[in-house]
Amino acid sequence: MITGQDEAEAARRLREQVAAQFGRSLHIRTLDTGSCAVCEQEIRLLTAPHYDLHRLGFFFTPAPRHADLLLVTGPMVRAFGAAARKTYQAMPGPKIVVATGACALGGVYLQDPFVHGNVGQVLPVDVWIPGCPPSPLALLQGLGVAVSRLAEKTPGLTFIADPDSPGGDT
Amino acid sequence: MPLWFVRGLRRGVVTTRYPARPDGSAASLPTPPAFRPRQLTRQIADRIVAICPSQALSRRDDVLIFDAGACTACGRCAEAAPAAVSASGEFELATTDRSALIKEIPILGAQP
Repeated sequence: MITGQDEAEAARRLREQVAAQFGRSLHIRTLDTGSCAVCEQEIRLLTAPHYDLHRLGFFFTPAPRHADLLLVTGPMVRAFGAAARKTYQAMPGPKIVVATGACALGGVYLQDPFVHGNVGQVLPVDVWIPGCPPSPLALLQGLGVAVSRLAEKTPGLTFIADPDSPGGDT
Repeated sequence: MPLWFVRGLRRGVVTTRYPARPDGSAASLPTPPAFRPRQLTRQIADRIVAICPSQALSRRDDVLIFDAGACTACGRCAEAAPAAVSASGEFELATTDRSALIKEIPILGAQP
């Protein structure tokens, strides 16, 4: 019988294996599912000299068949659901899905007849990157978390500013 | 040797060392709010819940529920209640668990 803990352990091992396999070369396909294009501007900034994501072994590719990581922006409009599924299916495994921006995380648009409102409704999301838009630094950290090169900080944050309040640390 | 090459060497490298080292520009990024529970009252909480444009805030009795994933860091809550809310300065928020972004803030301020 597989318990939740075994499953988490297996997921952790698989994540490490995937990270080792991707090494220092990972190809990213971006997918705009109805975003306002500001997330795309920040993603494009990653290749600017200041951030230069190629130094970390990340590359952009125009074809899902060459991609290891799907970087999804936007609230997933319903008209795009089938295309998003096909893009995901076209990618060779192992593959990582990263939802980027507040829309993709279900913050800005609620579920309605036009949008799913959350990328997780259509694709199996591995990493969530909040922000409106997420800055290139936040995107770099998200990519680092996606390939297990960086530890995630979120579980330890409380968003409480008082040092003397219960659980306060920020 | 072309002059631009020497000039470039003298001025140094513009590329950030992040994530190996912190990046100086991170301090000027808009970031999600951090709350001061002792300054928060139900009235203030309801006010900032009402003005949040992305449904990142909600209130359940004496707990303010903050979804950092939905937050757009617009700063309206900090503007409406500067004593209780200020920018957190946290931008490294990527997570593998969506529910880890949803935080519960206790409301400890005195009720009028």
